[in-house]
Order: sequence, then structure tokens, then C-alpha cells
Amino acid sequence: MNAIDTRIDTAIRAAASAIVLDKVSKSYDGTTQVIPPLDAELRAGEFTVVLGPSGCGKSTLMQMIAGLERVSGGTISFGARQVQDLEPKARGCAMVFQNYALYPHMSVFENIAYSLKVAGMPKPLRVERVEAVAKMLGLSDLLARKPGQLSGGQRQRVAIGRAIVREPGVLLFDEPLSNLDAQLRHDMRMELAELHRRIGATTVFVTHDQVEAMTLADRILILNKGRIEQFDTPKAIYHHPASVFVAKFIGAPPMNIVPVTGDGKVLRLADGQVLAECPVFGDYQLGIRPEDILVGEGPIKASLRYREDLGSHAILAADLGGNLLRIATPFGADIGVEANLSLTFPPLRLHLFDAETGRAIPGAFSAQ
Amino acid sequence: MSSPTQALFANRWLPVLLVTPLALLIVIFFYVPIFQAFYWSFFLERPFGGGSIFVGWANFARVLADPQFWEAGKRTVIFMVIGSSLAVLVPLILAVAADRQLRLSQPARNVLVWPKGVAGASIGVIFAFIFNPFVGILSPLNQWFPGIWAPGIDGTDAFIMLIAAHVWSGIPFNFVILLAGLQSLPRTMHQAAAMDGAGAWRRIFDVQLPLIMPQVFLTLVLEFTESVTSAFALVDTMTKGGPGGSTNLLVYKIYVDGFNGYDLSGAATQTAILMVFVVLLTGAQFAFLGRRINYER
Repeated sequence: MNAIDTRIDTAIRAAASAIVLDKVSKSYDGTTQVIPPLDAELRAGEFTVVLGPSGCGKSTLMQMIAGLERVSGGTISFGARQVQDLEPKARGCAMVFQNYALYPHMSVFENIAYSLKVAGMPKPLRVERVEAVAKMLGLSDLLARKPGQLSGGQRQRVAIGRAIVREPGVLLFDEPLSNLDAQLRHDMRMELAELHRRIGATTVFVTHDQVEAMTLADRILILNKGRIEQFDTPKAIYHHPASVFVAKFIGAPPMNIVPVTGDGKVLRLADGQVLAECPVFGDYQLGIRPEDILVGEGPIKASLRYREDLGSHAILAADLGGNLLRIATPFGADIGVEANLSLTFPPLRLHLFDAETGRAIPGAFSAQ
Repeated sequence: MSSPTQALFANRWLPVLLVTPLALLIVIFFYVPIFQAFYWSFFLERPFGGGSIFVGWANFARVLADPQFWEAGKRTVIFMVIGSSLAVLVPLILAVAADRQLRLSQPARNVLVWPKGVAGASIGVIFAFIFNPFVGILSPLNQWFPGIWAPGIDGTDAFIMLIAAHVWSGIPFNFVILLAGLQSLPRTMHQAAAMDGAGAWRRIFDVQLPLIMPQVFLTLVLEFTESVTSAFALVDTMTKGGPGGSTNLLVYKIYVDGFNGYDLSGAATQTAILMVFVVLLTGAQFAFLGRRINYER
């Protein structure tokens, strides 16, 4: 990093503040709760990704943090300040929208400078700040253009510039990459990670894309029907999913889940095949990731239905006692369709979930 | 602005066939009468028919030398500028208000469109009653300050009354256009401006108004051209051009000259002049305003 970059960084680096959600709830009609009372603490300077399927309440949650939606109950604090009753502008947070929401009648410069202008910052200061941000985002040559003359990636950068120019303590992203093509999305992911390192604002990033969540997040908050399923680091969420929902949401392809019955010694499928040793009784759901299954010699029998060769590895779709089992394997190349597979489920890679609630049962296999 | 899309037809005569009914209507009821007016403006017509004499530009020389023509023309321009501006401004304020997510804004949107169903002449009759100096809404004013509101005697009062009726009749259409423009703005645009710290008032002037300029321009152009002619029904029912000719707009003067005074050539000539004026005016609007409001969404 050269001298100029360092100066820009110190100019733009914000005083990040922690976000504390205390029993925050949202209901539009007073009876059905979109978000039941929810507690979470987003640490200062942390990059939190809110992940969930459409309709899980993640956008509503973000809008409540931004101040664009009122909370129906509970409090939101930025640092020591309670903000749930404040207007968006009083909260000191900025937001990047999914469709960018750039002002089409303003130039790139005016778009980025608008919040400073509204705040009454003198013009020379404004110019200085906008130019610093534009340099950082590689927009210096585009300041005179209108948004309509920019590409998707450039618009995205302008939207980010508009958000960070005010040096917000809290930076919100509402599915900002979903309108970009795959290559650009990948590039922007790297840029966003780099940007976060440089400006250090507490960042909340809403997405339904688990790859974005895994790559960008310090911690991932997984939301399901307005409730927090799990709030942990990407690594912990991958290795120790707290529920079937999380297990199926993270990973591509997702974790295999098969219903099993325990007789106190082993876990069996409905057709009687033994999958693992575990001293439990009753019905459970057994999970194993496609990449954790070993193909070749093994006690578990399954028949191959379909295969996809992806070059670096192959994805096999197999039938395990009537259940679909996906296997990611580098050794798949010489297996024909309809072949019988012999598999090994390494015990330490198995996950046991309650059949009713879907919650993980920790330590089920660690004692072996 | 988006690029024009080209429709594809299997049969090359189908589009012609489809457009014929409308083209016929426009030709018969618009271009033919206009052509007739221009044609007659070069002839001296007998008031009760039977032959006409080609006189060249003599009709124009006569009309342009007539101070009453210039008076009426001046009134028309004043009516056009004040009436049209208000007829866009008032619906604009109403549309901005109705666009906000306030209680009762939905019924308000309905109510504001209803006047569209009232004919111009009816509006004239109703407003003549509303502004009647003895029984109308302003009549209490005359009790406190006798004679302050007298549209039957005072030319200015009559003109105000005329403009009020015109603005009222223009509300529904302009309101619908402007509200549609406001509603087409994405919600995130408001949210982005709110996040940038702009309050509701600031958002109106910085974001909403600039972005509905195409709609404002459309309503202004239509209003300017319409106000020249549509005022006829109002003048005819409310003031008959009085008092003392103070509301005698060009379009009404043409009618009186032609059908009461039987100066058919003079009326045709004034019609031709009015037509050229409106065309030039619209062209000027597009040249000066139209170019500045293009932007890509």
C-alpha cells in the first residue's frame, strides 16, 4: 500500500460501532410476526452476513437496522446509542441497495456527493472526499458520467462509493451482488472483502447466496422464518451446523440428510442397512456432507443413479435405501452408471439431528 | 430513453389496415377542417354563401391591423401562461401528496380523477354558480368589503374566475399523469435518498421532481396547446367574453366573429394564425425544454 492509499484510508476509516439487537420484532398487521423477538450482537468492525432463503425476514431485519422500517418491539443500539426511534439520517449508517438505486439524473460525482451536500459540507471538502472515494473504487475517470452510461459493475461501485463517502459507522448491503454476472460477482466479492479491511465499518450484508456468506463473513447469521438458526463463524457453521436447516443451506451440494432409527447400538435405515454406530434410541436424522463420503471399499451399499463430471471432481447422485445421496469425489471417474457403490461414512464427519425439531445433537459421534 | 421497438407483421398490408380507421378520423375531423380554414383565409367569403373572391393576403392584413385581435391575443397568452402553469402546478402538489403512503391517499386518488367526467360547459355553469357574487362561496367577502368580488363588473375578477374553472377542469388528467410518474419511481430511490439524509421535502425537490420531468413536460405541452382552445366552453358559459371584453379570448372571438358577425374570412384567418402560433409554441417547448430532461433510467 503506498502513501496516498494510506492517507485515503485514514480519511475514510470510520469509527465502527457494535450493533446490538435486543428483542427486536416486526409485525405488519399486529397478529402475524414476520420477525419474532430476536437478540443478536454484531461486534464493532465485524463483517456479518445475514443469510436465509427468500421471505425469511432478512431484508426486513436490515431495513429495521437502517431505519427504513419501524421496529414493532425491542431496541436496536449502535454502540451505546439506542437508534430504533431515529430517522435513517440520524443513525449514521449507509446502505447499498440491490438495484443500486442510483439517482439517474445526477452524475457519478453528484451521486456520491449527495449525502455530503445534504449534510451541508462545503464544496471544496466535498470534492476532496468524493475524489478520494472515487480513487479508491477506480471511478476517477467516470465522475462526470450519468449512471445510465455505466456498466453493472461500475454502477455497483458508485453505489458503494455513495455509501462509504460519509464514513458511516455501520455499512449495510442488501443483496448487492445479485444483479451481476458470475465473473463480476467473484471480482466484487474480493473487492468488498478488501474494502472492509480498509474502512473497517461494522458491516451487515444480506444475501441468499451461501458462497457470498462463506467467503465474506466474519460471522454468518442464518435466519429462518424470522428466527436465528445459527450465528457463528463460517467454519463453525460448516463443521457444526446447529440444525438440519443450516446443514442443508450451507455447502454445494448441500449436506445429505437421511432418516435413521437408533436401537441403542447402531443407526439403521428403514430397510435395515446399518449406517453408523451410535448409542441412541428412537428416530433421528443423520447428516453427512457429500465431500466427506469415501467411495471404494466400505460397508455401506448404494446404487449410482447419475453423475456430473466437473473436471476437478465429480458429483455422484446415488440411491441409499430410497434416499438421495450426493457424493463429491475425485475418484468418480471410472464408475459407470447403475453401478453399485461401496461407501464409508467416517464417524467423525457424521451429524445427528433430532427427527422432530431438526436441532443438532452435539457429541453424538465424538465418544467413539 | 429506451430505443424504439419495431413491430413485426406477417402481412405488409395488415399494419396499414389497422391504422386506417384512426387515420380516417384524424383526416376528416382534423386535417380537412384545418386545410379549409387556411384555404378560406385567402378568400373573401359571402356571409350567406354563394361565391367567394380570392383576395391574397388581404384578410391577414385586415386582421393584423385590428387592435381587438391583438387584445384578444394578449389575453389568450396571459390565460395560457397563468392557467396552464397553475393547471400543472396544482395537480403536481396533489400528486406528490397522494403519492405519499398516508391514510386515505387511496380514496383521494379516486376522488381527484372524477372531475374528468364533467364536460367543459358544465364546469363553466357550475363555477359561474360557485363564484356568483351573491350566493357563491366568495359572497361573504362582499358583505365585509362591498364590491370586492364582482366578476360581472370587474374584468380581473372575471379572469380569475375563468382561470379557477380552467385549473379545476385540468386537475384529473394532469393528476393521473403526474401520479403515474411518481409511482413509477422505485421505492429504493426514496430509501436511498432517506439514507443519504434527505428529509421528505428535500426528496421532493432533489429526487422526485427531477425524475418526473418527462411527465411534467408532457402535461405542460398538452396544457399550453389545450388552454388556447378548450377555454371556449368556459368563456361561453361563464362570461360570454365580458365584462367589457376582458375575457374575450381569441378562440371565443373567432366564434363570435364567424357565427355572430358572419365575418367568415376573418374568423378563418384568425384560426389560421392561432394554429401557426400553437405549432410554433409546441416546437419551441420541445426545442428548449425537451432536450434537457432526457436521462436514462
